[in-house]
Amino acid sequence: MIGKSEIIWIVLIIFTIFAYLLGKLELISSALVGALLVTTFIKGELIIDYFMGMKNIAFVYRIIPILWLVVIVSSIAFAYYS
Amino acid sequence: MTKSIIQKEKYPPGDFAIWLVIYVELITFGLMFVGYAFSRRADVALFNHSQLALNQTSGFIDTLILITGSYFVVKAVNAVKVASGSAIKPANILASKWLGAAIVFGVMFLINKLLEFSAIFAQGINLSTNKFFMFYLLLTMFHFMHVTLGTIILFNIRRRTRGENGYSVDDTRGIETGAVYWHLVDLLWIVLFPLIYIIR
Repeated sequence: MIGKSEIIWIVLIIFTIFAYLLGKLELISSALVGALLVTTFIKGELIIDYFMGMKNIAFVYRIIPILWLVVIVSSIAFAYYS
Repeated sequence: MTKSIIQKEKYPPGDFAIWLVIYVELITFGLMFVGYAFSRRADVALFNHSQLALNQTSGFIDTLILITGSYFVVKAVNAVKVASGSAIKPANILASKWLGAAIVFGVMFLINKLLEFSAIFAQGINLSTNKFFMFYLLLTMFHFMHVTLGTIILFNIRRRTRGENGYSVDDTRGIETGAVYWHLVDLLWIVLFPLIYIIR
């Protein structure tokens, strides 16, 4: 039976294949690094909310790992594009 | 009963102490990720050239292993957190199987990583080769240690699911504590993989 956990797992696998193909087929470019970082953020967010179980937790606790993810992915993007 | 459900949703799953550990780990790895990104900006040519020595397929397999292992752990937690009465025993047997699969995947990750490290060391690369490899070895070895610890934690959680005093709807803190640590290891790798292996 396909439930929420299975859908999350499939999305994570698809984004991982996307990242791998970008590297393996040498398709990586400035624009695609942006797309890669967006998918990385989505993957992290899915893990925080659904695997770590933070989706229905008080905002004050949920926001900490999400903020971490925002800061890290933004910093990587800034270092790459600046 | 209603009160306890509301309280459960108010706080993160697992023991509060594990969340302090998780926040410290996030800061530590976060600083290294940002350090890598800005060091790369200072010498893009060196980082791009050095990155060619890495095996992207190995990194890809590592990611698949960790994501799937995390999924198994989610299934184990889901199995016991609704179990009560006569359902506790079969739920723990099911959780034990999911955790067993997650442990196998954890060990697979460790073996794959050791193979990757041995291939890197065979090329004469070490921590002092250059800045890229310093970051690569530091980050991946530090992460390797976390996967090792995570696997040991899963092993201990699984031992309880196989005993008489298994987890149930009223007692999930132990399994959730181990599970969130395992997911942390996954979350860190989710950022590490594209940063070190893919972005160029």
